[in-house]
This record gives sequence, C-alpha cells and structure tokens, in this order.
Amino acid sequence: MTTAQVTMTTAPETLTKAQKILQGIQEKFGVALISAENPRPDRLFLKVRREEIRPITDYVFNTLKGRMVMSIGTDKTPVDGHYEVSYLYALDAEGIALNLKELVPENDPVVPSVAGIVTYANWNEREVYDLLGVKAEGHPDPRRLVLADDWPDDVFPLRKSVPYNFKPPVRDVKPPMRELTEREKKSTIVNVGPFFPTLEEAASFRLFVEGERIIGADYRGFFAHRGIEKLTDNVLDYNQIPFMAERICGICGFVHSACYCMAVEHAAEAEVPPRAQYIRAVMMELERIHSHLLWLGLAAHYLGFDTVLMQSWRIREPIMWLVEAITGNRKTYGLNLPGGVRRDFTNEHCDKILEVIAKIEKEAGELVAAAAEDHTLKMRLVDVGRLTPEDARLLCCVGPTARASGVNIDARKDFPYCAFPDLKFKPAVQHTNDIWGRLLVRAEETFTSIDLVRQMLARLPEGEIMAPVGNIPPWREGVGVAEAPRGECVHYVETGHDNRPYRWRVRAATYPQLQAVPYMLEGMHVADFPIIVGSIDPCFSCTERLITVDRGNANKLRIYEKKDLLAMSRRRTQELR
Amino acid sequence: MRSVLVGIFNLLFALAAAPLLDGILRQVKARLHSRRGPSIFQTYLDLGKLMVKDDQAGANNTIFSLTPIVCFASVLLAALFIPMGGVVPLGFAGDTLVLMYILTMGPLCVCLGGMASGSPYAYVGVSREIMTLMVVEPVMVMSLIASAVKAHSLMLVDCIRQPLGAGPSLSFIICGVAFFLALQPEVAKVPFDQAEAEQEIMEGPLVEYSGRKLAMLKWSFYSKQIVLITLFTEWFLPWPALESLPLRMACTVLKVLVVAALVEVIAQVFPRLKINQSMRYFVSVNAFALSGLMLAVIGL
Repeated sequence: MTTAQVTMTTAPETLTKAQKILQGIQEKFGVALISAENPRPDRLFLKVRREEIRPITDYVFNTLKGRMVMSIGTDKTPVDGHYEVSYLYALDAEGIALNLKELVPENDPVVPSVAGIVTYANWNEREVYDLLGVKAEGHPDPRRLVLADDWPDDVFPLRKSVPYNFKPPVRDVKPPMRELTEREKKSTIVNVGPFFPTLEEAASFRLFVEGERIIGADYRGFFAHRGIEKLTDNVLDYNQIPFMAERICGICGFVHSACYCMAVEHAAEAEVPPRAQYIRAVMMELERIHSHLLWLGLAAHYLGFDTVLMQSWRIREPIMWLVEAITGNRKTYGLNLPGGVRRDFTNEHCDKILEVIAKIEKEAGELVAAAAEDHTLKMRLVDVGRLTPEDARLLCCVGPTARASGVNIDARKDFPYCAFPDLKFKPAVQHTNDIWGRLLVRAEETFTSIDLVRQMLARLPEGEIMAPVGNIPPWREGVGVAEAPRGECVHYVETGHDNRPYRWRVRAATYPQLQAVPYMLEGMHVADFPIIVGSIDPCFSCTERLITVDRGNANKLRIYEKKDLLAMSRRRTQELR
Repeated sequence: MRSVLVGIFNLLFALAAAPLLDGILRQVKARLHSRRGPSIFQTYLDLGKLMVKDDQAGANNTIFSLTPIVCFASVLLAALFIPMGGVVPLGFAGDTLVLMYILTMGPLCVCLGGMASGSPYAYVGVSREIMTLMVVEPVMVMSLIASAVKAHSLMLVDCIRQPLGAGPSLSFIICGVAFFLALQPEVAKVPFDQAEAEQEIMEGPLVEYSGRKLAMLKWSFYSKQIVLITLFTEWFLPWPALESLPLRMACTVLKVLVVAALVEVIAQVFPRLKINQSMRYFVSVNAFALSGLMLAVIGL
C-alpha cells in the first residue's frame, strides 16, 4: 500500500493541499487524531477519538468549509471488536474527500451527535442507529428512518451477525410521528402519499395546512428500502455489484455503477484505460441529457402543462434509442466493471451520437426558449420553493438544487473523474434560490452536456477498454464521486476477503435534497407542493411486469414472463441496429 | 311544434353528443402534444367502463349519493333552456334569470357532494370551487344582462335577436370577450381548473366518487361544457342569420366545435395558475365585464 504516513519534517511549501489540511488538524487537535492515511492526493482518511468528534466536526464544517457527504457505519466487531462510524466530507474548494472515522467499542455503541453542527447529519445518524445500532447521543429527533415500522427494535441489519435474508414477523405498529407545535396542532393535516398521483415513488408527506398555506411538513420515506448494501456480506462479489448498483436508480443508474467501479479502482489502485474513461464519461453525459429532459416534462406535468411534458419526452426519446443501439438496453446499460467497460464504441456509434445530440440541441433549444419566455410559467416558479444558500449549505444539498441557490459545486469540476480533467466547461449556477433557478440550471446543463459529448468524441483516445484489476487486498478504502443528473453521487467501498467488499455504502443525491423539502414547503401553497417536491428531481422506480388481455377471447389473460420480455426486448434492439 | 323538436334536439345534443365533443377535444389535445391520441369515441368507452365498475361507496350518506343525479338533472334542464338556431325550447318571461340559476346549480351540487365525502382533498377542492364561482359567475351574469338591458327584455329569445337586428355594439363585443374568458373556468380547463387539479388534489371534490356515480358526474361535466359553449355561440355569435332552421342549427353545431377547440388550445398552452393568481386575474375580468354592462346601460 502506498499509504503515506505524513511526516511533519517536510518543508511547508512542498506540502500538498491534503498534507496542509492534515497539518492544520494535527496542530489544532493533536492527540484526538489517532492515525491518518493519504493514499491519493485527493483522499484523506483520518481516525479520530470519538470524544473529540464535535470540535473536529465544527472545525471541518465551519473553518475548512467541508460539506458532509454521508455517514458510514461498519461492523468490524468480528475483526477487532469495534463498530466504525465515519463521516465523509467533501472539501469542494480543495477537491479533497476527507473521512473522519470514530472507533466505537462493541459494549458501548454510542457516539456524540453532530446534528447540532451540521443539520444534514440528522438523517445520517438515524440511519447509522437503524442499521448498525450505534446511537447518536443528543440527537434532536431520534425517530426510526430507514427500517420498516414493524422491524424488531433489537435487530440491526448491518451487523455481521444478522443474516442477509432475515425476515422478521409482520407486526401492527404505528409509524413514528413527529411532536407537533401548537400551531401545527390547530392546522388541517393533509396527508400526501405514500401513494399519490404525482409522487411516482412511495413517500409520505404530512402537510400542516392553514387554508391554502403550508405551515409545516413531516416526511416519512424509505418504504422501498431494499437493503442492497447488506448483499455484499456474502451474496455479491466485486464484479456483480455494478449490475446491482445500476438498478439503484430508474433513470441515472449508469452513474451509480460507474461510481462504484471508481471506488473499487481507487481502493485497488487500478489504472483504467483512457478509452474506457471516455466511454464512461460520454454515457454519463448522455444520461444527464435525457434525465434533464425527463425532468422538464415532469415539472411541466406537475403544473398541468402537458404540452411541454409530451414535447420534451418526444425530444428525449432518440437518446433512449441511441443508447439501446449502443448497449442493448434503454436504461440499464450493464457497461461498467471494475477496470473498465465491457463494450466499445464503433465509428458508427460516434456518428450516430453526434447526429442525435445535434437534433436534440436544436429541438430542446426551441422548447427551452419557449419555456423561458413563458410569463405564466414564471408566475408558478419564481419565488416558489425557496432554499437559501445558508440552508443549502447546512443541509449539504448538491447538484442543480444547490447550484440554483448559488452554491458553486459540481463534482465534475471539484473532483474531476473519467474524462473531465481534459474538458472545458463552466458549471451552471443561478442565485435565484427558487424553482425557476433550478429550471434554468438544468436547461443550461443540458446544453453543456451536449457540448461535453462533442469535446469527448473529438478526442476519444484509442486503445484498450478494460484493464485487469488483479487481486484486491483487504482493508483498503475507496471513494468514488461522480456528478449524477440529480447531483453528486458517492460510493464508498472498504475491501474485504472472498473477492467482495467488506462494506459498500451508497449515497444518492436525493438523500440530502429530500431533507431540504420541508424547508422549501414552508409558507407555500398546497398547489405548490407537487412542483416543489418535483423541483429536486426525486428518483423513481419502475416495475417490470406486464399483463395483456386478448380481446378476441375476453377471459384469456396473457402474462408475459421474463423470457417473453427478453425476447421482445431483443427483437426491438435488433430493429434499432 | 318547432320548439318541441328543438327541445328534443337540445337534450340529445347535450346528452349524446357531449362525450363525442370531448373525444374530438382529446384529438385536438393529442395533436398539440405530437401524439396520435385515442379514437374520438374513446370517451363513450370510458363512460361505459365506469358504468359497469363497482361503486366503492367512498362516503355513505344521502347528499353524497344524490349529488351526481341532481348535477346531471340540472344540466339537462339547462339544455332545455338554451337557444339553438335562434329558437328557445322553453321560452317564458324571465327565463334568462332562471337559466343563470340552473347553471350555478351543478357546481354547487359538486361542492356539497365533495363536502359530504369527508376527504381533505375534497375540502381543498370545494374551497377552490367556491372561490372560483364567486369571481366567475358575476362575469357571466353581467355579460348576459348587458344584452338584456339593450333588448329591454329578460326573455332569452329577445336577448339573442337584439344584436341580429341592431348589429354588434361596443358593449356587446366587450361582454362577448368577458364571457369567453369565463368559459375556461366554467368548463374546468387549465389554467383555471384548480378545483379539480389532478396533480395537486386528485380531482378535489370527485376524489371519493367511483363507478356509476363518477360516470354520471363526468357525463354531466361534458354536457355542461357543450351547453355553455352553445349558449356562448348562440348569444354572442348569432351570425350568419340563415333562413332555414336546420341550416342555422347545423351552423351552431359547427361554431360550437370551433369555440370548444379554441378553449382546448388555450388549455394546452398554459400551466395551471394558483387559486390566488386566478382570483386576481378574474377581478380584472369582472371590471372589464362591468364596463361592458355600463356601456350597455348608456346605450352604446
């Protein structure tokens, strides 16, 4: 391992950014720092004493201006008798991912809560308690977050002693409700969800309403939590996880598998061939174009503006056909493996990509120009769903949601990955703090992505698309960061034995964004609810089952099974080629 | 005899042709969306499907159950009042006022039914519906009364013949425009369909209705749409004054199609406004209609 134990004998002017930061922490906290690793210039893994986590968090968040990315709870009790609770920070200005790890003894699973310093830590600490059973002392709202309401109180699924296929008995338990304020008690409660026409995913908002005004909101989600992180215990191996990761999201799955692969490659110190890097980046940008067009349509639909919905999805469709011709699938490409990609671009593919994005540039340009001029659309979006830059920072929002609040972060710029170090572009930033700004940011990004794809295809390197990763030694850590259409997507991998990670942790962009929704809802109208939730572009899932009725014989149902769907899909792909 | 035949035609027109008009409007909408769209008879199939579906009995009380019937009946009654080809089936002194009352009955019924259903979405929808009624009904009343002032009569027949003889006056044009603007919320189309807004409150007052009751309510909405648009074309677009009655009726049917398509196009090029925004908008439309009425009073 090339882990550099940083020595303080180096002259200050030759220190890298990461070493300077480490030096600062060492000077300030000294003994609180147990160990430090700096495996790559842009990664800093620290172990700190849990008693000192609050002052260190305060320093990292408020002085270094770090942005909390996620908490990672790992059960290391079979190895060394400890639970490990980490907080991963992104130092966007320096482009460094900083991890603060606390060791928690098995017989005293408690850590001090830092939710008072970083509001966003709220969900992270609840998740660590739900899944690992390490309690955050002093947490303002320690309700259950991730697990089902009837899950037993003393079973923590991410502990290695719990089997991955453990099924608790079904119980009748009331969901945990938030304590209401006096004003909220007097208001009308409008329940939105878990199933609601404009929330295509299961999520439940309780809106406290006075007349048409929303005075508060409470969220309960994770109804479809699938526990896939647990599958790395003894089900999936390194090369299988990308295909699982791709299925995390119904729209931007490719970025998840790419992000996971980057985390593994970092941990294994594997080099990915340049051509594979470029193919990944092109696919990610194509994904962003179709995702943003999808969002524009959905946002218009939430406002009852179905003409824009239909037109924007019509414009988007050629991208879906394009990627199907390249990868064999509309959405789940199955391209990524640690070490590279599985399919190459042919020259015909490149020509087709250029042709399709030129068409989209023209048509989307017309649509966006029409929308940007629309006075009524502005009436519905300007000053609606406001998120101040201060709140965006406290809640650690990412992606277009943060950029519309003037927070200039973009993983493609701050943590350049794949082909992005070679490319020229400017992140889209708006200072309006409202949904109108989020619309402008996404519109601009669509055209930026088209330009980026052109840049990449113009300089697409020749060569291999896959490099062997070799044996991956255990107990190494890797963090993959990528800018998904909805915002920064982060995967963390700690390597283990048996050709599988010891811990795999995923943070999708909607995780911080959803915590910001109650802030955006306050003081708005009931009519604004769908577009406010829609403005963060939450992720949707789909089912894969289809029943048709043969009308010639009304009683006869035909159920398409997996093999029929597969045959139909293959036929369709053949037609496109 | 002639008025009896026109009465029967009106009933059939409002009852049987209303789903067809909706089907045609769905085609108009689909074309604006670059879609192929369903067949123009799709609305009949939809209503038929609802008719045979189970009634989930969202709320079990009399008002809730009676609402669809009263709503349906009120629209059919209104169909007997509206002129067709210049002929008024049920003409009597003061029928203009009666028609206005009957037209308000439908939305009020829906409000009662919504309140009786007990759903919070329905409450929000009802409060929006009442607010809309409060600002839109005066526009319709003022626009219609302006013609009555000029005709010195409250009989529909005199009112619709007045502009044919005298030609369109300034007040008549202003009131026609105001009435057209009020059509959009009256037939519950975007941007003024806040009371039913599917994406926000799941069709508001209708949220608990299902099966036959929902079919009746929907059908009465389609009928109301055709009744109101017929009233508009007969009242404000009576030209050309053809000799034969069947020709005049055919002409009205054609005009209804054109006006309905125009209403649908407007619905497709705007997002839905919020209720407070649409209230503000209709306050100005009220002032506009009032100016038309004033002009009519001073004889312009």
